[in-house]
Order: sequence, then structure tokens, then C-alpha cells
Amino acid sequence: MAEAQRVDMSERDKKRFQDDALPLLDSLYAGALRMTRNPADAEDLVQETMLRAYRAFERFEEGTNLKAWLYRIMTNAYINTYRKRQREPQKVSTDEVEDFDLYQELKLHGSQFDETPERIVLDSLVDSDILQAIEDLPEQFRLAVMLSDIEGFSYAEMADIMDVPMGTVMSRLHRGRKALQKRLWDIARDRGIVTGPRQV
Amino acid sequence: MKEHCRETLERAYLYLDKEQLGERERTQIRTHLEECTPCYERYDLEQQVAEIIARLKDNRSCPAGLRKKIKTLLDEA
Repeated sequence: MAEAQRVDMSERDKKRFQDDALPLLDSLYAGALRMTRNPADAEDLVQETMLRAYRAFERFEEGTNLKAWLYRIMTNAYINTYRKRQREPQKVSTDEVEDFDLYQELKLHGSQFDETPERIVLDSLVDSDILQAIEDLPEQFRLAVMLSDIEGFSYAEMADIMDVPMGTVMSRLHRGRKALQKRLWDIARDRGIVTGPRQV
Repeated sequence: MKEHCRETLERAYLYLDKEQLGERERTQIRTHLEECTPCYERYDLEQQVAEIIARLKDNRSCPAGLRKKIKTLLDEA
């Protein structure tokens, strides 16, 4: 690499980036995989994120959440680059999501079970079902649900990461969770865990 | 659903998501959930779903090759 392109960074910052950012690689890779849904793109995305972050590290405010900052860079890179390459799944239409109510569905079908229906249904789902259900969500929902329910970011951090107002974060999260619950319910139904007609 | 239940449940999501709430508001939500069975059941269901989603956290680790490559790139950058 040409000398002119080298990052002008103090030794202290270099060490700080190595010490603080590199341990977050597992989390970033897992997140990238959930965003891109394929390992090759996930690797490219993490690499690009780390390089961008390294070059911009002087703008990172010490004492704030580094993981949130890295996720912001990664989300940006994903939206600007990788998303364009990918076909967006539309297995869940946003209209049918609005009416879905897992609680009512479980009440309606609860008489089939001796035990609490939610335990029967939820215990029938393995991690790969949950991952599939998340991957099937439209992108904005998928991002909101994964940032909140998997990565544990606050609404304010998510607003910053996704670059939208907090109200938008909450609405996407609410609808994303509903859509996810509908997918999970459909998986349980397809398996024959719950039977009977779908509530309309 | 009663208006009061709807409002409380909306705020209960903030509670569930560990968003900052005043002590008074937390007490109001807790009290309502203790007294209203349908709201408690809804809240409990949301919590159970959140728990199964959270199982996916860090379920994959960064491939060793990628980690090495990034370290090298950073050294050169």
C-alpha cells in the first residue's frame, strides 16, 4: 500500500483499536451473517467494516459504545453495498402481519394441549427455525429485530445505527416482532404442532 | 382490549426492552401486570419469544482466516 494511503494514527489509538475492536469480531461476524445471509458476503462485510472503522477511529468518541459504533458502520456498508446485490425475500407481506396476534392464536388453539400452549409451540422450535424466521423477514424488520433482540442495543443506539428517528425504530421493532411471531407460528403449524384453520 | 390495558402494554414493551423508565412508571406497569391476567400473559409470551430469539446471540464465531486477514490488513493500513 502506498505511503500516502496509510492511516495517520497515534500508537495509542492503534493499540486501542486492536485491544477494543478486535474482540468484537465474533459478534460482528454473527451480525453480518444475519444481515447478508451468506458467509462470503458476511466475510467481505466484516472486513470492510473493520477497515472503515480503523480509518475513522479518531472520530470515535471514547467512552461511548464501540460495538454500537461498529454496527453503525457495518449497517451503512451493508445497505450501501451488499444489499444491492441481494434479492430481498418477501415471504412475509406487511399487510398480513398487522392482523396477526400470537396470543389470540394460542388461546384459540390452546384446548389442544394439556400444558401451556406457548411452551409446547415455543419448545418445538429449534435455533435454526428461529434463524430461518428472522432471515425471512423484510430487511427493515430483520435489522430492527436482530439489533434489539439478539444484540441487545437500546432504542437510541438503534436509531443511531439505522439512522432513523426513535419512533421509526419502535414501529419497525413492533412490526418485526409480529412478523417473526407469525413466521414461527406458521412453522409450528406446518410441522403439525398446532392444527386447525388459521384465524383470519 | 381496554384502553388502559393497551396503553400499559405499550409501555410494558419499554420495560421488557430495558429502556429507561421512571420508578413511578415501572411500579404502575408492574402493578397492572400483577392485577390483569390477560396483560400478564401477553407480557409473559413476549418475554418467552424474546428469550428464544436471544439464544442466537454469538451463535457463530468469526472464521480464523478472516480474523488473521483483518489483523494483517490493519497492520498494513
